[in-house]
Amino acid sequence: MSLFLASLGFGLVTAAVLAIAAVGFTMQFAVTDVLNLAYGAVMIASAFVAYALNQAGVNVWLALLAAAAAGSVGSVLLNQGIYTPFQRRAGNSARAPITMVIVSLGMTLIIEFGLQAIVGGTSVSYTMSQGPTVKAGGLVLTAVQFAIIGLAIVVMAAVHVLLRYSKLGKAMRATSANRSLARNCGIRTDRIVTVTWALTGALCGIAGTVFAINNGSFGATSADLFLVVILAAVFLGGPGQAYGAMLGAVIIGLATEISAAYITPSYKDVIAFLVLLIMMVVRPGGLLGAAVS
Amino acid sequence: MTSAQLYYLLNLLIYAGVDIIACLGLSQQFGVAGVTNFGFIIFQAAGAYTAAILSLPNDSANGGFQSYIAGWNLPFPVPWIGAAIVGGLVALPFTFVVGRRLRGDFAAVGLLVTAVMFNLLVTNYKPFLNGSAGLSLVPAPLQGEYDPSGAGYQWAYAAIALALAAGAFWLVRRVTESPYGRSLRAMRDNDLVADSLGKNLVAQRAAVLVLGGVLAGLSGGILVGYITTFSPGAWGYAETIVLFAAVIIGGAGSHRGAVLGAILVPVGFEEATRYLPTFGPPGFTDDLQWVAIGLLVVIFLWFRPQGILPERRRIIGATINIPNEDVVSLPGPLRAPRATAAEAGDLPAAIPAARASAAAPAARTRPSAPDGIVLRAVDLVRDFGGVHAVAGVGIEVRRGTLTGLIGPNGAGKSTLLAVLAGTLPATSGQVIYQGADVTGLPAYRRARLGLVRTFQLASEFKRLTVMENLLSAVPNNRGDSLAGALRGRRYWRRDEDAATARARALLDRFGLSRYADTYGGDLSGGQRRLTEIMRALMTEPDMLLLDEPMAGVHPRLARQIGAQLLDLCAEGMTILMVEHELAIMDEFCDPVIMMAEGTVLATGTMTDLRARPDVVEAYLVG
Repeated sequence: MSLFLASLGFGLVTAAVLAIAAVGFTMQFAVTDVLNLAYGAVMIASAFVAYALNQAGVNVWLALLAAAAAGSVGSVLLNQGIYTPFQRRAGNSARAPITMVIVSLGMTLIIEFGLQAIVGGTSVSYTMSQGPTVKAGGLVLTAVQFAIIGLAIVVMAAVHVLLRYSKLGKAMRATSANRSLARNCGIRTDRIVTVTWALTGALCGIAGTVFAINNGSFGATSADLFLVVILAAVFLGGPGQAYGAMLGAVIIGLATEISAAYITPSYKDVIAFLVLLIMMVVRPGGLLGAAVS
Repeated sequence: MTSAQLYYLLNLLIYAGVDIIACLGLSQQFGVAGVTNFGFIIFQAAGAYTAAILSLPNDSANGGFQSYIAGWNLPFPVPWIGAAIVGGLVALPFTFVVGRRLRGDFAAVGLLVTAVMFNLLVTNYKPFLNGSAGLSLVPAPLQGEYDPSGAGYQWAYAAIALALAAGAFWLVRRVTESPYGRSLRAMRDNDLVADSLGKNLVAQRAAVLVLGGVLAGLSGGILVGYITTFSPGAWGYAETIVLFAAVIIGGAGSHRGAVLGAILVPVGFEEATRYLPTFGPPGFTDDLQWVAIGLLVVIFLWFRPQGILPERRRIIGATINIPNEDVVSLPGPLRAPRATAAEAGDLPAAIPAARASAAAPAARTRPSAPDGIVLRAVDLVRDFGGVHAVAGVGIEVRRGTLTGLIGPNGAGKSTLLAVLAGTLPATSGQVIYQGADVTGLPAYRRARLGLVRTFQLASEFKRLTVMENLLSAVPNNRGDSLAGALRGRRYWRRDEDAATARARALLDRFGLSRYADTYGGDLSGGQRRLTEIMRALMTEPDMLLLDEPMAGVHPRLARQIGAQLLDLCAEGMTILMVEHELAIMDEFCDPVIMMAEGTVLATGTMTDLRARPDVVEAYLVG
């Protein structure tokens, strides 16, 4: 039972990291229609911005804000400089999504290995205190782990308020549902798309830093495998569905950590992989999405 | 040349052979068939591992320092053959991911993830293929008889690798330059439309996956026989991007481009630079190399997406040369093909057949319902989420009629057409065609039964010429299967010539002869509509479902199209046509079905409909 509780605790922390990342990814896809495979690379690049500040003596939780800003700026630049021009040129052609996904893969290489060329191939860790161990309801976690879970809850609540109650959130949902219709209704969709990249980029930066914190040590290519897990959570909930991504994150987070405890840690990501493939083949619209046909 | 230089040169030649074979396989999938296989490297790895464990002795023979399955110590060339076979077999289940219903980019991501996970599994499970350390001491082919380190052996190895590359080139060319290759390219340009013309997308994708898999597997076998070691580090997901970079830079869909790309990128960029002095901290130059690969992909996709050696245009020619031809000046009725077609035809034997089939679809013997009803919808429903786009439609279309389908925007006309054709599955209800229930049949099967649709939006195959657009729709071409394509031109030449003659007659009749070798993507709006109608006719349909065939067409041309359609109906064809222009309906269509809000409001002649206040109301208010 204690093994189960321990893995449950780890699962919740993983789910928290995953939720921040997956919600950012899925909202990016919903509004911009780009499956941005460079998301993981931007995550890690942001985590390294936090690392640089952390090395300079800044508290990691403050550096987290800088990472959010870096992720935000980086994502907006990525969109303005690369994705939007490509999308504009491709127009409505049937091959457009494929071109975008290849471009995003090329950008992954550029960002990831460009970063590695700068920071080197060895793994690094933040200088931080893990804080006292806290027991709550049978779960035993460090203060940092609780902080991550708390942060995720705050972020999810903020996304909920944004999407449900703000004018911006409504405009984002409208743009996501039908961009040209939204534009005809007087929504400045170009601006909404840019704002979406800024917001989801911030989530990406935060996710990268908490991923690095939770991982202990990280290097330039550390997010490669995590991107698969993010994709699994996104597709489980339905691509483009923010609430689906939250649900998917919880399920995948718990499933991977609990299976790691009972089977073997080496294969925990295989669960995510199987979920992803099964969802793609059986129900590409996700648990919460309409069946796509 | 020093011996070190010689070995370096031979090394490059062998790598060139390996990479050319792999790039040809990928180009066949990605460039020709439009299957974006981000998991391609798995096939090469499968081939390499297979060749390794087939040629290695049992794992205890080396003192047990590495563990793996099999170890059969088989003689050359069995390991290479095994590599090709296993590469193809491994590719087969991937068909599930690139199946019909999944968005292309989703499928690509699914394959990428599969590649990452296979790598993870092989890395972590040591007993299978020795885990992360990989296999080493793999016997070189015939190493008992010859000395693998000798210059003669290396020359021979390079020669065999390049000969196999030449064989691979011949193979993919044979497939691509056949009617089957044209079907693959049609699927690449627009898969939904290819489906509606009777192409089995799942079978076509499975075939190119296996074909590419066989080539990749073979390349892996050649590679491992040369480097004698193989580990998960050699097939990370990023290696697939290197091959993609090669194909994109060389020219996707062009086989010569694939060869050039292989020489430029994996060989020139990765291997040739291997012995250049490095600088900076450890790994720095490697990192820069990856950055450069990423930059090359993005830069080429922006500045030269067609690659250095683009896919070439297939010139077939209309043969019939009519000066001052204008699209608007359509020649006479369909029943009388112009004499020029027969005069100019270089294959006199094919012409009568062409005339018969192009002009008289009724000549095809198909079971016809005794009551003359060709197509019937019974309580047909199609929902999108909670919206009933088609909400219980019952219609009957009689043989030989040009039936009109009108209704305000959002009435469900296009959705009804899509459900009738099978492009969209019905939520409930039945589609009865020629007396048989076809509700459960996919679009391509219905098309093969003669029930063919066109699309509201432009749906030409953009990178096929007009002539190829027409030829792509021809059913029962002997060369339109992988097996038929492999049997070579001689096997399918007669079918192709007959089809070409038919296409030429149609082009002539519709006045588009001089655009025969123009890419579909370069046509004007009206020409596209004509091309689409001609292409649908090339399927020898029994019933056509036309979705606004005259939208965006010059009114004069629209009238001429209408007259042509009436002629077709007089010959026994049945047409159901969506159209907004009521004047067209007045002139050509009888009866006319009026839809509103997903249901049929009324059926009758336009005069009848105009007399009904509820119809007028629906049109004006809706």
